[in-house]
Amino acid sequence: MKENQKNQLEASFGQSISVKDASLWYSDFQAIKSISIEIPEKKVTAFIGPSGCGKSTLLKCFNRMNDLVQGCKITGEFLIGDVDIYGKIDVNELRKNVGMVFQKPNPFPMSVYDNIAYGPRTFGIHKRSELDEIVEESLKQAAMWEELKDRLNKSALGLSGGQQQRLCIARALAVKPKILLMDEPTSALDPISTGKIEELCDELKKTATIVIVTHNMQQAARISDYTGFFLLGELVEYAETDEIFTSPKDERTEKYITGRFG
Amino acid sequence: MTSAKIKERLGRTLFAFGAAICIISVLAIFVFLIVKSAPAFNKIGIFDFIFGNKWAPQGSDTYESALKGSYGIFTMISGTAASTVGALLIGGVLGYFTAIFLVFYCPQKLKPIASTIINLLSGIPSVVYGFFGIAFLLPLLSKMAPNNGSGLLATSIILGVMILPTVVSLSKTALEAVPNQYYDGSVAIGASHTATVFKIMVPSARGGIIASLILGIGRALGETMAVVMVAGNSPTYPSGLFNSFRTMTANIVLEMGYAGQVQEGALIATGVVLLMFVLIINLMFNLISRKTVDGIVKRPKESKLKAKAFLFSQKIKEGAGSISYKIKSSKIGEAVAKASGIAVALILAMIIVFIFVKGLPTLVTKPQLIYGKFEFGSENITILPAIICTVLVVIISLLIAVPIGIMTAIFLNEYAKRESVFVRIVRGAINILSGVPSIVYGLFGMITFVKIFGGSASILSGSLTVSIMLLPTIVRSTEESLKGVSNSLREASLALGAGKLRTILKVALPSALPGILSAVILSIGRVISESAPLLYTMGSVIKAVPKGILEGGATLAVALYQLSGEGWYINEAYATAVVLIILVLGLNIFAEQVGKTLNRRLKGDANERKSKKSA
Ligand SMILES: Nc1ncnc2c1ncn2[C@@H]1O[C@H](COP(=O)(O)OP(=O)(O)OP(=O)(O)O)[C@@H](O)[C@H]1O
Ligand SMILES: [Mg+2]
Repeated sequence: MKENQKNQLEASFGQSISVKDASLWYSDFQAIKSISIEIPEKKVTAFIGPSGCGKSTLLKCFNRMNDLVQGCKITGEFLIGDVDIYGKIDVNELRKNVGMVFQKPNPFPMSVYDNIAYGPRTFGIHKRSELDEIVEESLKQAAMWEELKDRLNKSALGLSGGQQQRLCIARALAVKPKILLMDEPTSALDPISTGKIEELCDELKKTATIVIVTHNMQQAARISDYTGFFLLGELVEYAETDEIFTSPKDERTEKYITGRFG
Repeated sequence: MTSAKIKERLGRTLFAFGAAICIISVLAIFVFLIVKSAPAFNKIGIFDFIFGNKWAPQGSDTYESALKGSYGIFTMISGTAASTVGALLIGGVLGYFTAIFLVFYCPQKLKPIASTIINLLSGIPSVVYGFFGIAFLLPLLSKMAPNNGSGLLATSIILGVMILPTVVSLSKTALEAVPNQYYDGSVAIGASHTATVFKIMVPSARGGIIASLILGIGRALGETMAVVMVAGNSPTYPSGLFNSFRTMTANIVLEMGYAGQVQEGALIATGVVLLMFVLIINLMFNLISRKTVDGIVKRPKESKLKAKAFLFSQKIKEGAGSISYKIKSSKIGEAVAKASGIAVALILAMIIVFIFVKGLPTLVTKPQLIYGKFEFGSENITILPAIICTVLVVIISLLIAVPIGIMTAIFLNEYAKRESVFVRIVRGAINILSGVPSIVYGLFGMITFVKIFGGSASILSGSLTVSIMLLPTIVRSTEESLKGVSNSLREASLALGAGKLRTILKVALPSALPGILSAVILSIGRVISESAPLLYTMGSVIKAVPKGILEGGATLAVALYQLSGEGWYINEAYATAVVLIILVLGLNIFAEQVGKTLNRRLKGDANERKSKKSA
């Protein structure tokens, strides 16, 4: 019975994101100004824009990480699939379905294995064989099973920065999220690690929706299907990536992109 | 899903409960001390009690009958004041210069060793200081004294050494917090190192240094056992360096064991007066150190300092003549600072070498002192029962204090809204708890736990008493460690859908473990060192191994106090002191190591990787 309920709830989180007229205030400061955006499922959507324009803030609205900020007020409608995520839902269940990868790799000070098993364990999976399977599968998805299979019991903090970030992705994948939010996941990494993560995005979008914040125009152009350009808390332009980069409609977008492409 | 919510709620409640216990403890201490002393204040009269200069209690005095004895504690208030001033003159001055030495003159290589020495000084139990006083200082002083050497001078010296670590470590922190640019600015102008230190750096740290001295005063006011052992203890004014006198703390310890009704009330009242003094001092400390911290953070004085540095440089340019006096005084300061640093090292070496030289032979020739079977009236005493009692108090008090302390810290750091009223009250309570003198804890334990558990002192009552004492340290260091855990880890856990409780228990707390563990080990050392709070809550008789925790018994520290008072067990006393020192210093060093090692392990095999590369 209970199991049934859970499944229903789980099933009801879709993979598309629909935002209508969203605004957000940090105390008195308005960081997001009535943004509306439709993010399609199983595509990579990139958020670009200058520093402080509210990309991370909007991203964190999707898994309600902003709840942790004192004095943060949010208005507007946020739908994932057709679930109103600011309505009566279990936030932890939401975050299970909407995974997040942060700018700086933040592996827990535990072994590689325990890092990945942390999420599944949180949701009640304790059987060793099951966990083994999840760990292997997640690491394979993150394309690092071969690298790590012999050091599963070593501390995750001993990995290189790029490995740590991919481990964090594997950790997020272990709870099988339907949407993966990535906030500048490669900004702290070298070009080779960055390339690996970009390949990963391509692979992952077969099963999950990906929203990625990036400061790197080439990266956005390379990996995303849709791109949104933000400025001072507003969504200036949002369209297919090709369109944004070849024929932007808004003058500000064009300036930003050409300026950045150099 | 709902069960998860219930768990979250339960966790929160539990953590808040820990915090509530801190508040309740403080309230209980105040309420019980005041209720128990009120009849005495009433009977004797507050004015006569505080300003009366005759203390001659009558055991038969009750609240119903007319008083036959006299109950004035002004001689003892004076005694406390005089010995505190004495301690400040010796330990304060020495500590001040030692801190300057450590920060500005100590060779880089020696710095870690010097800091360890200062830490070790603070770890030595007060009975050991007192014992050192009896065994070394008094015989030395008696050569120039009309008496056995006890009195104000001996007390001031011992107290002075005891407050040294407090003064040194806080002053050192204050001096290190002075921005380097001040130093650079001054030296760039052409001022010498020493001139810069004494004219720019030290004045900039003045607030912190004063705060350290005030905290030192607080320590000296509340110190009991060491004082009892060297002060002489007659209830008279401290009229000369070698005249016997008594402090408020000594008064409580000396008479609590056999006090009549009014006398007991008057002793508790003495505790209340003492507590008031200490609270005022702590309040001053908090005010001053807050100001200083703000000062360092906001640095409103920067312009002032720059102006000062400029004036100073002008003077130098005008020609050395006009300020040669000042430079000279700085030179003297440099010499004094260096001498102080060396003196402090010598003092510690002297205490340890003296006690080891006297005590080790006994331990080697009569090892049965440690493990032998206890026999009543036997010549061959053993400290085995005391060791067992000590272990029991350590275990029970930690079992109580550690969970409560950790719960409180979690509540403060993870749940409480900053600066909410409840949080302020909890922090206030913890501040007060950390300032309450240990003898006052003893009084409190005696009138509460001992009464509850059958009227006689027991291991349980002693443990409960000490566990309250331990709370502030455990709360503070756990909170510090939790603060040190990067928020990104918490975010990562929450973003995976873990609840707050799970995030705290599985991610935040494990990362804070090194800090918590070293606090726990330090607490073990603290319990082993304490004697004043245990004397009357746990008992002071060295007897057979206790059969249960409702029995009493002396711990090692209390046993040392007993043995040193009875002249015929002096060798055993030395040996006990050696055991105590080894235990406490060992624990201090161990705590440091554990903190470091665990931290390294938590940081991962990063080091391992490095070492592999180099291999
Ligand atoms: N917790 C917070 N409290 C108050 N203001 C905040 C908070 N987080 C962000 N802001 C402000 O909100 C605005 C948007 O911040 P956000 O982090 O979303 O920008 P961003 O587009 O991600 O920038 P960057 O590219 O530098 O990461 C900024 O002006 C920032 O200062
Ligand atoms: Mg950002």
